[in-house]
Formats: sequence, C-alpha cells, structure tokens
Amino acid sequence: MKKFISALLCVSSFSFASMIGVDALGEEQIAGGSAAMAGRGFAGSAKTGDAEGVSVVNPARQAFDSKVSFNLNFLLDVSTADRSNSHFTNTNVSLPSMNLTFPMNDFGTLGFALWQHYSAALREDIENEEENWNAEIEYQSSVYELVPTYAIRLPFFRAISLGFSAHFVMGSFNRDLTLGPDVSAVAEDDSWATNDADVTDHVTGDWKIKNSAYFTFAAQYRGRMASYFFSFSTPYTLKNELEYNFRFSETDTLAPTKHTRNIKIPAMLATGVNYRINKRHNVMADVAWRAWSRDIENAAGSWNMSGVTKTQNDFNISVGYQRDGSDIFYDSYWDRITYRAGAWYKNWYVNDVSEIGGSIGAGFPLGRKGTMLDLAIQGGVRLTDDDRNWSESFIGIRLGLVGVSNWGKTRGQ
Amino acid sequence: MKKKKFILFPFLALFLSSCLFDTDDDGLSSWLSDQGMPSSYKVQTVTVKDLSPVSAEVSRDTLPETGWYRGMLGAVPGMTFDVAYDFALDSAFLDTLGSADSVRSYVHLKLLTSYYGATALPSNYFPIEEEMKLKVSWIISGKLSKKEFNDVGSISDSVWFEELESWKPQKKADTTISVSLNSKKDSVLTLTLDLPKAFVEDVSKNAGNRRLQLRLSAPEASRVFRFYGVGHSQYYPQFFLVAMKSKSYPRLFKAKRAATLYSSLDDSDGLVLHGGVGDSLVVEFPSKPIMKALSDFYGDEFPYEGFDVRQAVVMAEMTFFRDDSKGSRELDYPIMVLAGSFLDSADTSVQRTESYYKFNDSLVVKKGHQNLVFHEGDSLTLQVTAGMRDFINRAHDGRTFKMSMTLGNSIVLDKDPYFTNRITTKKDTIKTVVATGDTMKFATGDTIRVAFPDVDYARYDFSTIKEKPATLKLWLASKRGED
Repeated sequence: MKKFISALLCVSSFSFASMIGVDALGEEQIAGGSAAMAGRGFAGSAKTGDAEGVSVVNPARQAFDSKVSFNLNFLLDVSTADRSNSHFTNTNVSLPSMNLTFPMNDFGTLGFALWQHYSAALREDIENEEENWNAEIEYQSSVYELVPTYAIRLPFFRAISLGFSAHFVMGSFNRDLTLGPDVSAVAEDDSWATNDADVTDHVTGDWKIKNSAYFTFAAQYRGRMASYFFSFSTPYTLKNELEYNFRFSETDTLAPTKHTRNIKIPAMLATGVNYRINKRHNVMADVAWRAWSRDIENAAGSWNMSGVTKTQNDFNISVGYQRDGSDIFYDSYWDRITYRAGAWYKNWYVNDVSEIGGSIGAGFPLGRKGTMLDLAIQGGVRLTDDDRNWSESFIGIRLGLVGVSNWGKTRGQ
Repeated sequence: MKKKKFILFPFLALFLSSCLFDTDDDGLSSWLSDQGMPSSYKVQTVTVKDLSPVSAEVSRDTLPETGWYRGMLGAVPGMTFDVAYDFALDSAFLDTLGSADSVRSYVHLKLLTSYYGATALPSNYFPIEEEMKLKVSWIISGKLSKKEFNDVGSISDSVWFEELESWKPQKKADTTISVSLNSKKDSVLTLTLDLPKAFVEDVSKNAGNRRLQLRLSAPEASRVFRFYGVGHSQYYPQFFLVAMKSKSYPRLFKAKRAATLYSSLDDSDGLVLHGGVGDSLVVEFPSKPIMKALSDFYGDEFPYEGFDVRQAVVMAEMTFFRDDSKGSRELDYPIMVLAGSFLDSADTSVQRTESYYKFNDSLVVKKGHQNLVFHEGDSLTLQVTAGMRDFINRAHDGRTFKMSMTLGNSIVLDKDPYFTNRITTKKDTIKTVVATGDTMKFATGDTIRVAFPDVDYARYDFSTIKEKPATLKLWLASKRGED
C-alpha cells in the first residue's frame, strides 16, 4: 500500500500546467478534478449515482450510493501563456484525485479521497547570451488533502441527506532558481572568479494546516426530477514552513533562513442543482464562492519578485449536461456510453484573473460489472489584467477510471 | 488492448499538443522578467583593506607518524626526522650470533623513486656525497616466551607510538656513515647504514627470543632522505644481522612496525611553518571590519539577525604581505600554501582545506600562481571562499573569521595555465621552469607534472602576518532586487 501511495505521489508530483500564481498557491483543482465532473464543466455535485464517487464539495451526495465505488483520475494539461506576440507553453501530467466510497445501507456511507487541491509546476532552462539569460527555473508545489467523508440519509425524510468531511492538509513546496553569473558590474580582470559558479536560490518547505483539519458540511435533497445541495467549508490557515538558502553544491553547510507564511483561506459556500429530464438526460448548474479578505504572501523572498499575490473574491459558476448511459448490458455499446458537455466561468483567487472554459466528455463502460473509463477534453482561456500574469489558453485531457462493485452484499440484496 | 489504449491516450495528446503549441525564444524570458525573476545573478566585488589579525598561532603535529608507507631520516633547517623500527629476534638466530667469531649489522634503506627519480629534480642534485653522523639508540627486551614472542607482531601502532613519544633507550651509540649516491636511471638507490659496533655487540650478547626497538637519527645531516616504508613488498627497509664464522650467515629482518618522528627546532611562539609535516598556522580576523564593509556596500544591517543568506560568497581571497628572506627550502621551487577553513557541520566546527582552487589564468601566465611562497612578488593570496561563506552566514553569533595555512607541494610549472597533470599529445613540448630557469622537454605520451611529486621539508616564517595588515576581496551574488 505504501509503495502504491508513493507511486501515486510520484506521478502527481507533476502537476497542473498554469503559470498563474506559481509563487502563491498555484492552480486550484476545483471540485476534486474528476474526469466525470470535468466532462460536464465541473457542474453536477448534486447529481447522485453510484458512479459519481466522492464529491469534495458535497459530501452529502454519497449517502444515496448503494455500491462501493473507486475512482482514479489523471490529467494531461497544456497551457500557453501569451503577451504581445510572445508566448510559451507548459505541459504537465498529474493525478488530481482518487477516491473510494463505501455504503453501509442504513448506517450511511463512508468515503475517502486524496485530492491535490493546489499545485504549481514549472521547469524551464533558458540560455540566451545576447540578453544575458542563464537560468534554470523549477517550481514544484502540491497541496494535498486527505479527505475522509461520512454521509447519511435522514431517518424519516429519506430524500434528504447530511454529509460531513474533514480535510487533512499536507504537501511540499520547492523552488530552485539556478543562475549563472552576470559580470557586467565587475572589472574585466576580476571576472575569472565566477567561472563555473552557478548559484541556486533554493527554497523548500512543507504545507500544513494551522489546526489539524478543516471541514465541509453539506445537505442534499434528491427529488424525482430535481436534486439540490448546499455546502459550507470552514475557513482555515495554510502554513508553509520554508527554508531559504543559496546553494553551490549539495554538500554546502550553510544554514538556511527560515520563514513561515500563513495563508488564510476563506470559508467556501457552494450550491448546485441537477434536473433530470426524460429519465436519462440531466442538466445541472453549480456555484461555489469564497470571499478572500487577505492577500497571499508569496514564496519570493528575493530578487524583484513580488512579495504578495493580491486576491479577489473567487467564484465558480458551471453549467453542464449529461446523458446517462444505459445500464442494460444488452443495449448497443453507443447507448451504454455516458455523454457529457459543460462550461464554466471562474474567478480565480488571484486578483484580476478569470477563466472561461468548456468541456466535452464521455464515460465508456468496460465490461458488464460497472467499470467505466471517463474521458474529458477541456479547453479555455484564463484572462488576466495585470503586469505580472499573462493570459493563458489551455487544453487538457482527463482520464478517470471508475470501478463499481457490490462488496459486502449478497446476490439477493 | 484496453490497457494499451489507456496508456496511448496521454501520449497521443502530448504529441499533438507539442505540435500545436510551441514556445518562442523570447516568450519564456519575457514572462520570467514580468514575474521579477532573475535572469542571472549580478556579481559585485567588495574589498576590505587593513585587516589586522586578532591572533595568529602555529600548531605542530609532532606525534609519531607511521612508517608503513614511507620513512624519512635526516635534517633540514628547523626540523629533524628520526625513524624507529620494532623487530622480533628469534632465539635460534641469536644463538648463532652468540657463537659467531664476529658480527656485523647494517640497514638498507631503499630511496623513493618518486623523489630521487623525478624528472623535475634539479640536474645538480646528484651526486650526494656526505659524511653523515648517525645516532643509534635501542631497547632489547628480556627473554620472551613463545606466546609473548608471537605477540610482538600484534602490538598496535598507537600503543607503540605512545611509548616512542617518551623514548627511553637502554643504550646509545654513534657512528659516521659515508654517503655516496649518484642518480641511477631505472633502478632504486640504496642508502646503506652500517650500525655501530657497540650496538652489534650488545645484541649478540642476548639469548632467547627478544624484541628489539631501534631508533636511528641523523640530526646533523645536510638533508632528509626519503625511503620506502615497511609496507612495501619489495623495497621495505632491510635490517641485517650477519654472523661470521668460517663464512657469513646474514639474516634479514623485516620490521614488525615502523615510525617516523619529526621534531621541530623552532619554538611555537613564532609563526614558522614547516612543510611536509602536520604544521598549520591559524589566523583569526575580527568580524567588525568585514561586517562594516558589507554594511557600507549594501546599506543593510550586518551581521544579520539570523542565518544570513541574503547574498552568497562566490569567491573570497585574502591577500597577505610576504617576505621570503627568512625561509629555507630543499629545492628551488616555489611552494604552494594551502588555505583551510573552519566550517560548521552537524553542530560542530570542522577544519577543511579549501578544496576548490580557481585561478585567473591570464595572471598565472604573466605572474604565476598567487598562492605561492618563495616566488616573485611580495604578496600571498589565498582563497577562503567556503570559510567566508560560512562566516557571513553565521556571523550573528559574534564569531571571528578563522582560516588556516599549511605548506603544500612545490610547484614546478608555476606559470602554466593548466593547473593539472596531463599526458602531452604534442611532439617535443618544452616547458620552462621559471623558478630555476631550467627547460624541461616532454615527448609525446610523457606526463607533464605541474607540481613536484613529493613534499618539500621547507621552513617559512610568517611573522609578517602580525606586522602588516591583510586585504580581503569578496565576489558576491546578491538576492536583493533593484530598488
């Protein structure tokens, strides 16, 4: 199991591709980043069903599950940043989430998710003698959450469920700026001393949460046609304990300067609706909202890098459509496929950054036991209006593997 | 098949995306500029003049050194080298010796070819003709049981070295050795030491198994002889006892262990360093002038209240005034001074040689390496980069800056821009040894050695360090942004 988890963490050390906010928290993977959600524009946290898995926004949903399900998601993301005829591209592969739900009939449903909530990844080498560029830039930051969830349907009002989840935060931050010398300010006779003298501005540290965890409370109503949810996530403070150092080699004995940045993440309110039309057709819409009151301290600590990332109230509005695949094995394969489409508008936590995206997706049944391969293709733009961040266009492919099983149940049940 | 598809998807997408999106040359650098990220680090130099040390102290390591690898015997100005050997003499041969008509004893010392056969050894080094006064002292144990006799071989060096430090011989005798050596290409020179009669007679008086500890000194010799140690399979020092009756019965003894004992004739109060031994000079500079210079340069407070990584020392050089007139050396080559630093490691301070020597090759071609004594000019420049890096990093604890100096090897090609031994691929490479004016010719495939292959037992007086101030030059990389 340990090996499995470390292999997963290794894969996921490659993270999302956006270059916005790399010095703050990086890109946020909304709604758990599952391929199924992404296929319908990140809408549909109110949609119930065994193949839906854990929703980190709406833990109450899983109370309606009747089968054990496992879900593992991959993302391949390509972002291109543009400004006045200049552009560059960053590609990454990551593992945004995995989750397991375990229904226990009248005793409710237990769930467990591993979620890469925020991530920044960048690795570039630049050498340009004319403009005196001689650098290697590397960012690796991942804020993970281990999320155990519990949800139960109310005893008499069976259409209503309550859910609860705790979010245990962990992760690491690493930034290396490896730089060559610029000897323009040094007398010609003295420049020899800098031959082969690359210096790395090294910052490393852990992500923690100030108190042991933060929590999400949710309520869900499942009607014949319409389902709703409402959730509240508590505010919390992320602690990033950093060590700053200059490195010439791995064997240096310099003592680092230590600094802890505390990032106050505001409470989140989320709500959503799913409306079922004609049995298998669903339209859905979700909204999530957070009011940021404080700027985020950047890792920066040097050069001319900005000390803070200014924040704004962030929200995410998404709309989606899903045609559920037939669960009758003898129907045609095309009919058994789940089709999805959606769009979203997102205000980032980074000031003056917004994102418009759209996606299409499909769920392909594999065999008769309920295993499914979800595929989503997403694309869009991130618009910015400041000097530092560039606008970006992005495309991404997500793959999700869903396994549904009848563990713990006899054939008759 | 499904598995294959599953793996293929991301790769296909990656391939497609790499075709669709491309990074233009300036895109990344201009993005990084907008983020305020550096393109390179700016190097700035700071010079701190008139640094006077708060202390300078020589320490000498005069503990016996193992004679396993090499041995030294003789004297140079300021130093003497003795050798001591430990033998086990068996009862059978001592009986033979006791019944002999006459007895003699001698030691063959096989001289190191790396020194005596070195290409760079001056042409006038040979012949060596010398009447060398040899002092011999010894201890013969009482009769040993079989077990005690066998145990002589397993006495540990450290125990024996401790005994040698307070050497109290039973007897002493002097003799004079006529040394006559000439260079012999492709063969090992042998220095034969005939041991005095008093010693031989005293040994032959004994019966039974015995342990013999023998110490040889030549404090008035004109040089130090270097020879192979007891660990060498072929050229170990050979101690002979010869019983002569109707014919000679020579018996060769191999020492169970050996030691070289170095004595300094200079007191420790002065700042005299000896080369080739464990002498070191530690010079301590005050923190204040260095901190003030940094503060004036950056306009920040120094020392920093915590561990300081606001800037990094790319290079640090300490330049001292130098006066070679009070020194002496064996060969006429300049001698490199090795700088050492005190680095913090695992909650302790460790003394390390500054391992990464970088040099200005255009200056070396013109004026030679700057870390040499017995050399042109009147200054000595030592690189203390790692030490200065560590010092500025932790200066908040009020420490001083300490550096150490030891004498290293002689430098033969002191103006050669390649500071490395190498095999020449050119036909007839001619190198001029600036120090001696000799020319050295190398054929294709020869090894050109920058340094002389052995140490010089030199004596150098660094007392000017206390008299004339030093200059520190720093090359610094700073994280500070532009205001």
